[in-house]
Amino acid sequence: MAANENNENLKDLVGRFFDGEEAGRVVEDVRGGERIVREYGAPEPDSRLIADIKGEVGRALAERKSRAFRRAVYKAAAVAAVIIIVAAISVRLSERGNGEAKPIVAASIVPAAIWESEDIAAADAELGTFVGEIEELEDDLLALELGENGGNGYEVIEELEAELEEIEGVFWKG
Amino acid sequence: MAESDDLGRIIAGCKDGDDESFSRLVGIYAGRCYGYFYRLTGNKETSDDLLSELFVKLVGKIGRYKGGSFDGWLFKIASNVFHDYLRDKQRQKRLLDGRKEQLELEKHDGRQSYDERVDKLQEQLAKLDDETRELIMLRFYSQASFKEIAAMRSEPIGTTLSKVHRGLKKLRELMK
Repeated sequence: MAANENNENLKDLVGRFFDGEEAGRVVEDVRGGERIVREYGAPEPDSRLIADIKGEVGRALAERKSRAFRRAVYKAAAVAAVIIIVAAISVRLSERGNGEAKPIVAASIVPAAIWESEDIAAADAELGTFVGEIEELEDDLLALELGENGGNGYEVIEELEAELEEIEGVFWKG
Repeated sequence: MAESDDLGRIIAGCKDGDDESFSRLVGIYAGRCYGYFYRLTGNKETSDDLLSELFVKLVGKIGRYKGGSFDGWLFKIASNVFHDYLRDKQRQKRLLDGRKEQLELEKHDGRQSYDERVDKLQEQLAKLDDETRELIMLRFYSQASFKEIAAMRSEPIGTTLSKVHRGLKKLRELMK
């Protein structure tokens, strides 16, 4: 193997830092030293090791593809869940405007087990963020239900809309 | 040029998750990366492990390669893999013990075979300080320019040049 086949002009480079004769000695030291390393070489990896590595890389690739697919599914599920929550809020506010008071029925298409799984949150930080955002939305929803927002439902709705836009932006960026 | 176009296609394939492209990348770089790890550890089994770790890590990192010298980028990861390995105190101790054992064995054997010639370089490399040895091996196996190595190490090019020069000069003297 030839070291440093990179079009680098060693003489020019060394000339920037050393004068005349000294520059010549530095170039000779560098080239001579690298010649020794080249002459002595190093062992090559054996063919079984290379085959093992290719196998490991193949498994890592398969895992990467499966993780990417899972992430896409979770993101889609997160957005769907948020849409359902907001739809429930809208219905609730609209009903309050009509003077009716019915309890909110919160529905989610995502099984609770998925959101509560620590493994998934650990494996996918982005999923954790989505879970956090949905929980925040649920808290807002509860505040509305309990009237903790001082009756200013529209302000909370605007905040929720802003958060949704942000989530949607992240989702479409992938 | 054709070679770099070919490498570009292989890297693009790797980014798309193509198994065959990764196999070709392993074929191209395994020898040099193995030499780099072997010269730094002096141990074949450890070099086997580090080489595997490097390429598996590459699967997760290849998407972050944004152009420029691929060799330099790859060897920067190889250097990080080596440093992670060194951080493991137990392994570090084993490495030092292994080097001592290797030096003792070489002292008691007068024959000159190819393997011993290889080991003679290893023996003299062990006399250099860790940073210098790593710098010389990074320069040799990555085939990176002084400018690229200085950038990898976030230090002025004059500093890199001076360290490599001092190290190689000392190595020449030791090998006489």
